[in-house]
Amino acid sequence: MRSILTLAWIVASKDLRVELRTRERLAAMGAFVVLTALLFNYAVDRTEVHPGRIAAGLIWMTLILAGLLGLGRTFELEKEDGAFQGLLAAPLPREALYLGKVLSNTVLLALVTTLTVLVFALFYQVVLPRNPFPLVGVLFLGVTGFAALGTLFSGITAGTRMGETLLPVLLFPLLVPLVMFGASATATLLGGFPASEVFGTLRILGAFTLLALTAGVLLFRFIVEE
Amino acid sequence: MIPPLLEARDLVRSFGAVQAVDGISFGLEIGETLTVLGPNGAGKSTLLALLSGSLHPSSGRILFRGEPLDPSDTSWRAELGLLSHRTFLYGALTARENLSFWGRIHGLADLGDRVAEGLAQVGLAEVADRRAGGFSRGMRQRLSLARTLLHDPALVLLDEPFTGLDLHASALLREVLQQLRDGRRSVILVTHQLAEGIRLADRVAIQSRGRFAFLGPRSALPAGEEERFYRRAVEQEAGAP
Repeated sequence: MRSILTLAWIVASKDLRVELRTRERLAAMGAFVVLTALLFNYAVDRTEVHPGRIAAGLIWMTLILAGLLGLGRTFELEKEDGAFQGLLAAPLPREALYLGKVLSNTVLLALVTTLTVLVFALFYQVVLPRNPFPLVGVLFLGVTGFAALGTLFSGITAGTRMGETLLPVLLFPLLVPLVMFGASATATLLGGFPASEVFGTLRILGAFTLLALTAGVLLFRFIVEE
Repeated sequence: MIPPLLEARDLVRSFGAVQAVDGISFGLEIGETLTVLGPNGAGKSTLLALLSGSLHPSSGRILFRGEPLDPSDTSWRAELGLLSHRTFLYGALTARENLSFWGRIHGLADLGDRVAEGLAQVGLAEVADRRAGGFSRGMRQRLSLARTLLHDPALVLLDEPFTGLDLHASALLREVLQQLRDGRRSVILVTHQLAEGIRLADRVAIQSRGRFAFLGPRSALPAGEEERFYRRAVEQEAGAP
């Protein structure tokens, strides 16, 4: 029998191909990022606050809010013409379906994250670190954890009438540790401190992401089958 | 002795206080076609969802080739084809890409050939590289039929497959359903189209209020009075406590 990861990749590559054609989620998330950065730019009094000091927090909040726009529509594609019922009746383990959705969401969020960092670097004169890998590591772990939880909760809310309203209410409390440690590590790295300063935070973000993925793999079956 | 391909034993599925499926039992032999007739809300689609494994029964058992279905084991679904009035297609993908996706899920080795064959079978070879979103309802349903049969399933579940089809698509579907009666494949056809359903059946079940009000061979239906028989069965079940 083929591995769960192979099947997850089949689901993810289909999702990404559809997104590449329609750009429904990417366009909405991208526009949100640019407009939010622009609004923050005018909302902050530059004589009182140095923009660079608050950039990390703003990057994370923008990322979470923009990400919700995309994650909330994770299963819309499958509802289009009943494909979800077909997936449930196919020889596709629920874990593979979940991981495929997480993978495609992670790729989309990674693209949005790149845009977010670039836009904030432009508006807030943020100097990106010379060695980008620690920052990439922090953001990648954060985005993967966000996608893992967001996909799971999107599965829960997809079948409800108030789905897109309910998603942030359920998801935000669980994202507190992710935003707290992610923003803190991002601020440290954008502040020019050495990467060794964030190793502890990276481990915490890694543990959070692993926990979120494990919970998703274990619980997704119960969500989609009932 | 060869067990039935599919067997349902006292299947019950409740949604709150409503019992959509209420104690249904039957066996489906290899090569047999069972048509399930019934009015709207009789629980026919819920029964199919249970049989396809996309919904769990509240109680009762389903056996496939004599083995109880294990919800965590998806391998038996490789032998299952499901055609619904919803097509399970992705509008942004081409006809070929849609079939390739479902074929890859099924792990088909000779995918390119199977996809081309499937498209030709339903008369869509010439539009293989056009997006399914631009297809008419009939074309989408034909593509969905190709998707259902792509992996050569032993058990085919059909949920109101004639809904919304034009004459050409209906004729093609009828022809393909006749071809399915090759003795190798078992078919469960759920429909409220009486004449069509009875004509394609070896056995007929009439479902009402979650229960089978009648289950028997097609020959047990009074010739020329099938509709009256059907109505009486539904009314009797509706009037039962």
